[in-house]
Amino acid sequence: MRTSRQLEHMRVLAVLLMLGFAAFPIYWMFVTSMTPSSELFASSPRLLPAWSQLSIYAEIFNTIPVATWLKNSFLVAAGTTVLSILLAVFPAYALSRFRFAGLAVLGFALFATQMLPEAMLVVPLYSIFGDLNLLNTIPGLVLANTAFVVPVITWIIKGAIDSIPFEIEEAARVDGCSRLDIVLGIVIPLVAPTLAAAAVISFFHGWNEYVFAQTLVSSENLRTASVGLASFVGELSTPIHSVMAVGVIYTLPAIIFYLFAQRYVVAGMTAGSVKG
Amino acid sequence: MKRAQLARERLDGHPWTPYLFAAPVGIYLLLFQFYPLIQQFYMSFTATDLLTPTVNPFVGMENYSFLIEDGELWKVLSVTAIYTVACVVFAIGVGLGSALLLDSPFIGRSLARALITIPWAAPSVAVALIFTWIFNSQYGIFNRALTELGLQLGGENWLDNASLALPAILLTTVWQIFPFSSVVILAALQGVPQELKEAAVIDGADRLNIFKTATWPTIQPTVLMLTLFVTIWSLRRFDLIWLMTQGGPIGATNTMVIELYRQGFVYRDLGTAASIGMIGLSIALLVTVIYFKVTQMTEQAQGKR
Repeated sequence: MRTSRQLEHMRVLAVLLMLGFAAFPIYWMFVTSMTPSSELFASSPRLLPAWSQLSIYAEIFNTIPVATWLKNSFLVAAGTTVLSILLAVFPAYALSRFRFAGLAVLGFALFATQMLPEAMLVVPLYSIFGDLNLLNTIPGLVLANTAFVVPVITWIIKGAIDSIPFEIEEAARVDGCSRLDIVLGIVIPLVAPTLAAAAVISFFHGWNEYVFAQTLVSSENLRTASVGLASFVGELSTPIHSVMAVGVIYTLPAIIFYLFAQRYVVAGMTAGSVKG
Repeated sequence: MKRAQLARERLDGHPWTPYLFAAPVGIYLLLFQFYPLIQQFYMSFTATDLLTPTVNPFVGMENYSFLIEDGELWKVLSVTAIYTVACVVFAIGVGLGSALLLDSPFIGRSLARALITIPWAAPSVAVALIFTWIFNSQYGIFNRALTELGLQLGGENWLDNASLALPAILLTTVWQIFPFSSVVILAALQGVPQELKEAAVIDGADRLNIFKTATWPTIQPTVLMLTLFVTIWSLRRFDLIWLMTQGGPIGATNTMVIELYRQGFVYRDLGTAASIGMIGLSIALLVTVIYFKVTQMTEQAQGKR
């Protein structure tokens, strides 16, 4: 009996350690942002935030174009989400419901994109976007990101459509509905939770993306938060707590949003992947 | 069933429907993924300067033979291999451990399940920034904690030390990606048949045996799939490594994608960059083929049993 209680204690300890490991770096970013410059390099580190420093969060909006960066990241993320979902639903349905020549090719092509590093495609995309007049534009970034997001969410949505019984669609077909009606009227409402998951995944991808935002856009006022934040790496003139404050402003909305959405994401992602 | 379904598709009267449904995404990927890929393939046989990307004289296999003769590629390959294998082992290992923990009932479990996904939601650039600060040799909390614990390693310059930079990058990577394995394995654990577990308990099996006979066979396909994804993602990971070490010091963290970027954007040699990309892609393809062979074999083995 005693050993099982000890085991219970060990389990609690293990869970706490794990959560500490997961949360500490984000906590530390926050604490650093709330540490006065004078204490940053003190012999013993400050482990709790100095709440008197909260004004730093108002200050950086005056000294650093954070608002513009966040706005651009939001536009890229929102655009990527909308375009990706629009593009992914129909091929996901086709992959799930039709047997056609080229099915395997489409499936493999979607998977193969997971192997392509963004850094490799930057140069050719740069010249294509140059021809299309999309360099230095938010829509350009949306198009580039969508190319990497669509394959992932197509598979996830396909997994969800797989789990819808055929009979539901059959009944609608008997009633004379076309395939388009079926997808729009029956399938989309039924896979709505997975679409929400796919939307969250797309949004995150766009919000976090760095390589394209760094290379396909050059003008200052189109900088995304990832590029803005990266510009502080190795740069010494901006105080470290300001840099961390920008990091917090960029990271925290993503985490909070994610904590609210994670139930959908987990359910949506695993609906397809568990069955393999 | 399948035949009947096929007949229904014909009855539907629109043999083009699947193609119409797949066309937009097909065109999109052709334009923004496969056309650039083919361009890169061609580029790998040319000598192209970043500043004049439209001037690309054909040089045949020269880029490849240069890479093979130059010792650097082997170092890059070995760094990539170590990094990738370590990512797979640790990210999936920690993921599995945490998933097993989160599968057992305790108070606040759903909160713990939510909190554990925090690293996954954090943007790579922010992760690189905070870990660079954590690993700072003088003021970083990591060294301060080590010194506090009386460990010799305290005071080391983690990201500037050729033997410590890769472990530091690995720790950062594992922190960022283990929640993904955790969440996916946790979902697979819900599929472990309760009867199987109970039968093992009745047979007097200990925890390890229960895991072996009931848990592992159920989650094994999921773990295999995770192995594939973590491998492929590790082969192409860029932001984290580039921002923390730029592949240094002296190539200690120089993976293929970092070397690709360095050749293209630092040395302006797009031809060599493209050929590194092609070699990396071949490796990723090889891993994928092996994965499908292994899955097939295990499925057959299980079918026979």
